Amino acid sequence: MTFPATPRSGFRAVVRGRNIKLTVVVVQSFDKDEVSEDRMIALRKRAEIDSKYLLTFVQKSSSDLKHSLNRLGSIVAELANTYYRDEGRRVKTCIEKKSFSSVDLNIRYCFKVAVYAEFRRDWGEALRFYEDAYRALREIIGTSTRLPAIQRLVEIKSVAEQLHFKASTILLHGGKIIEAIAWFRQHHAAYKKLIGAPEVIFLHWEWMSRQFLVFAELLETSSAVIPSNTSLPLVTKDNKPLTESEFNPAYYYQLAAHYLREKKCCLELALSASEAVAEIESSADSVIPSVYVGQFARLLEQGDALVMQNLTDAEYVLYALAEGKRFQDSFEIIALLKKSFESYSNLKAQRMASYCSCQMAREYFSVGKFDNAKELFDGVASLYRKEGWTTLLWDVLGYLRECSKRLGSVKDFIEYSLEMAALPISSGDEVQSPIHKGEYGPAGCASLPQRERIYSEVFGIMKGESGLTSNEGNVTLNVTPERPIRLEIDLVSPLRVAFLASVAFHDQVAKPGASIFFTLSLISQLPQPVEIDQLEVKFNQSECNFTIASAQKAPISATSIGKTGARVVTAPVLTVVTNKWLRLTYDVTSELSGKLECKSVIARLGPLFTICCQAESPASMNDLPLWKFEDHVETFPTRDPALAFSGQKFIQVDEPDPQVDLVLGASGPALVGERFMLPVTIVSKGHEIHSGELKINLVDARRGAALGSPREMEPISTDSLHVELLGVSRPDGDDEPQTGQDNIWKIQHSFGLLSVPFVNLGGSWSCKLEIKWHRPKPVMLYVSLGYLPTSNGSTIQKVHAHKSLQIEGKTAIMIGHRFMLPFRRNPLLLSKIKVAPNSNQSTTLALNETSILIVSAKNCTEVPLRLVSMSIEMDENDIGKSCTVRQRDESQKDHALLVPGEEFRKVFSVIPKIHSPNLAMGTVCFTWKRDSGLDKQSDSNITEAGIITRHKLPDVNVEMAPLVVSLECPPHTILGIPFTCYVKIQNQTEFLQEVKYLIADSQSFLLSGSHNDMVSVLPKSEHILGYKLVPLASGSQQLPRITVTAVRYSAELSLPQATSTVFVFPSEPHFKMGNLKEKVTEIVTTGA
Amino acid sequence: MIVCIAVVGHQNNPLYLQSFTEADDALKLHHIVHCSLDVIDERVNNPKKTGSTLNETYLGLLYPTENYKVYGYLTNTKVKFILVTTHLDVRDADVRNFFRRFHSAYVDAVSNPFHVPGKKITSQTFAERVSTIVKSFGLSSAV
Repeated sequence: MTFPATPRSGFRAVVRGRNIKLTVVVVQSFDKDEVSEDRMIALRKRAEIDSKYLLTFVQKSSSDLKHSLNRLGSIVAELANTYYRDEGRRVKTCIEKKSFSSVDLNIRYCFKVAVYAEFRRDWGEALRFYEDAYRALREIIGTSTRLPAIQRLVEIKSVAEQLHFKASTILLHGGKIIEAIAWFRQHHAAYKKLIGAPEVIFLHWEWMSRQFLVFAELLETSSAVIPSNTSLPLVTKDNKPLTESEFNPAYYYQLAAHYLREKKCCLELALSASEAVAEIESSADSVIPSVYVGQFARLLEQGDALVMQNLTDAEYVLYALAEGKRFQDSFEIIALLKKSFESYSNLKAQRMASYCSCQMAREYFSVGKFDNAKELFDGVASLYRKEGWTTLLWDVLGYLRECSKRLGSVKDFIEYSLEMAALPISSGDEVQSPIHKGEYGPAGCASLPQRERIYSEVFGIMKGESGLTSNEGNVTLNVTPERPIRLEIDLVSPLRVAFLASVAFHDQVAKPGASIFFTLSLISQLPQPVEIDQLEVKFNQSECNFTIASAQKAPISATSIGKTGARVVTAPVLTVVTNKWLRLTYDVTSELSGKLECKSVIARLGPLFTICCQAESPASMNDLPLWKFEDHVETFPTRDPALAFSGQKFIQVDEPDPQVDLVLGASGPALVGERFMLPVTIVSKGHEIHSGELKINLVDARRGAALGSPREMEPISTDSLHVELLGVSRPDGDDEPQTGQDNIWKIQHSFGLLSVPFVNLGGSWSCKLEIKWHRPKPVMLYVSLGYLPTSNGSTIQKVHAHKSLQIEGKTAIMIGHRFMLPFRRNPLLLSKIKVAPNSNQSTTLALNETSILIVSAKNCTEVPLRLVSMSIEMDENDIGKSCTVRQRDESQKDHALLVPGEEFRKVFSVIPKIHSPNLAMGTVCFTWKRDSGLDKQSDSNITEAGIITRHKLPDVNVEMAPLVVSLECPPHTILGIPFTCYVKIQNQTEFLQEVKYLIADSQSFLLSGSHNDMVSVLPKSEHILGYKLVPLASGSQQLPRITVTAVRYSAELSLPQATSTVFVFPSEPHFKMGNLKEKVTEIVTTGA
Repeated sequence: MIVCIAVVGHQNNPLYLQSFTEADDALKLHHIVHCSLDVIDERVNNPKKTGSTLNETYLGLLYPTENYKVYGYLTNTKVKFILVTTHLDVRDADVRNFFRRFHSAYVDAVSNPFHVPGKKITSQTFAERVSTIVKSFGLSSAV
């Protein structure tokens, strides 16, 4: 450990005089090496320092080191703070006492105090003193005479810049963006007018530019944000409104560029004024910036020493010029504008950005970078075109035109020139004044004479009459036969104003081979009439193309037309006058069907120049850009105003009419289930049919959609299809597709395609379509025949004949059924008692009892049908055991004819054999066919099988009847003759059944026997109640009503009213009893 | 002093632009008017930020350029009026008053049955009237 040497008295004196603070640091390697207390006190006393500023610095471990460093840091900071406060206070008293000899010194003092305050981070005081200094500086402008005038101003501005920079930085750091902007404004306003001596104005502009640039950079890098919560207009303290743009660095960059440009102009002027260029070079050599801000001095060598010598103003000016020459301002300007441009683009301020890029382009133009300039100008021009700022566009186009001239691009030059010549500028009153600080571009001020001048210049070049030599650079613009010029004008081209072609067909559809009339209209906004040598009209069908030649220029055009061999017509005048439609009406003939569209109109002006104009429809023609805002006369492109609104540049050419009859022989509605035959006949009437193709399509008539498109047919099963095309039968009976490759034979569910063999003139061909309906529904049948009328040549288009027919599909047969109880027999069915009367439960039949099933079939069609057979098919295999269904009357003959609306009935007896809650009853199969009448023999092979209509019988509930009541009684009797009537009560259960019975009196009969009683019926036996009755009235009489009540089930049983009648003859009838029996059965079958 | 007054249609196309300066700076004024449309767009699209009330037609100071101040006014039919002035201290009331008078002149001009809406205003009477209004600008404040 070493101790610092004892401070010498000289050192101490130095320290005292300058207010220097002292800290003693004892550096220790290890913590353990404690320095004794005594030695520390001794050291402190010797150094005369406070104990606070004596510290031990331990280096051993990193944590100790860090701790020590922190302590040292804070002590030094504290001491520095004290030092600067003291110093600042000392200088401040000088200011307050005004104990300074000159104002200059005051400024210096203020600056010092401010800097000290800044060191102490006392921003408020720093700002205050910077402002004081700034104000003091402002006062000495014009009063100070310390330096020659020019240099003095330069110095003042430099100092002001420094102070301003400091103040702005502090304000922006403190987030006081509004104050900073206000401060900048004030700074700008204060110094804006201090231009200084005329020979060094450029220095002023340079200074101004720097102010803006520096402020822009400060603003950009500062963390201060625009106060978003306060609403605009924001106001500064002195109540001047602020705008959004002033918060944007782009604004300052842009103005920095503006002033730099100003500087450039002035510098150029100054340089051109001063003749002694050589002198400038030499005099600038030894001048350097002095140690003081804003001062310059000449460095002279005097022996070994270097001496600064003050400059005279004249010397300084020379120096400044020499310095100014060294810088390339243009690139600086472009860089500034680029920054501004990017910033504006980010803010989506496209017009501001365009202005920046326009200025950038001008700068590029001025330094000869025409490629860059052209690219930028093109971007700007498109915005001006879009928004219709003609004057601005004119200027930009002027530059573009000049750029392309310098770049040697003839086509661009012509395009820009034509666009300029066609701009809507009519004010000729603005006389071009001498160029105003480069305000106007190379095109000069926009005016009508200028347009005309440009027009004649460009037409001179186009016609090859004159070349244009660019005065700078050795590029010559001219059109040579090797390089003819062809301009393309499409629907969005800006050159539409120069040349626009509209084509309107007079009709919408035309017949092939007929004359199709159309009007071709041309308009131009060029200032002078354009003479066209010839016009070529191009269509999508190249055979229709033709050429219109001007009558006056016929000899010239004849040579070029001769080659093509296309049609040539002659027009008396082919001159397009400004803003006046040149209307030409011609006709074309098209042999091909389909769309005939006019593609383009090519105008030939002179031998080397063509303009290809895309044709436009008047109906969908856009307004001319730029001109649409002008208040000028607008006329229709066609003579017929209606056509101007509806005219189209295309027309539909029809197919030739088919000379073939396509006949669909429909015969009423189709019936569901049958194979409906539809004959299709093709009769040739004027065309032979070559490679004919018949397309068949079935479409749902209601929905309009296909029943299924041919492509997605595969996954759909036949069941889901309601109507199906089964096939096509040919007249020769050959149903199979022929193996020949030419023959297409494709049948799908709703789509069919088949080839038709050659049919001679006058001949015919026919086939039959087989269609089957699965559901009743109307269907549209579309049949189309495509064929070639001649056998040779594939270019000829197919002719199509179409036919459609709506066919109804109807249900032919309605099948119904009902169950009936057996005659005069009533089994007690328990499930019938339990259920509520209106719940629709399935029919319940008694086990082992015979029930009657009546099946009816009604003809719903409008044609007679012939019954082939009716039967009940059992679809379960065990049906034979579970239930017996038998046809009741075998005698009834099949093949009955059913006229429309007639119903056919058939009776079956059913005996269920199995106790089951839902016993399948099978399906009624009704086989029928159309009663074809006369042509029975012809299509007997198809219809013989008949069509089966199926009707599924519902499942029935079979249960055991515990009791069966039946009545036995003769069917007829004679008045006054007694007869016996038995009521049988059959107990089918294993239990004893108690049965009550009640018989009601009847007026028609005299009755013997008990009225009501209760009997017990033994298990599996029957009890018979016998009554003797004497009829009292003749005719069909109701027997006395017997009601039987089963006590066990508390259920009533009675016989149906209809069956408990008996016919009473007044006397013994005289007929044979044998016939009577048959009659009774008939009553049963039909009377149900 | 008013150096330029412009009427801009709702497609941002100039309908009327007249400068009142001796100097040949028409192009510059065109640029200034065109650029100020950006500020109008910004104000119209962000009404909250600018704090203008719903029915306020006067847009106030749009932006200062190096020598000029630009004021804006937006009619209900989205036609913009733009005023360029060299006055550095312009009273808001004067500008408002000017725009009100100019608006009525504009309404009279476009009400002309021979004027097609959306096209440039070519009326001589309108031009005369505008020049009268321009001349009287700021005089009322002196009185």
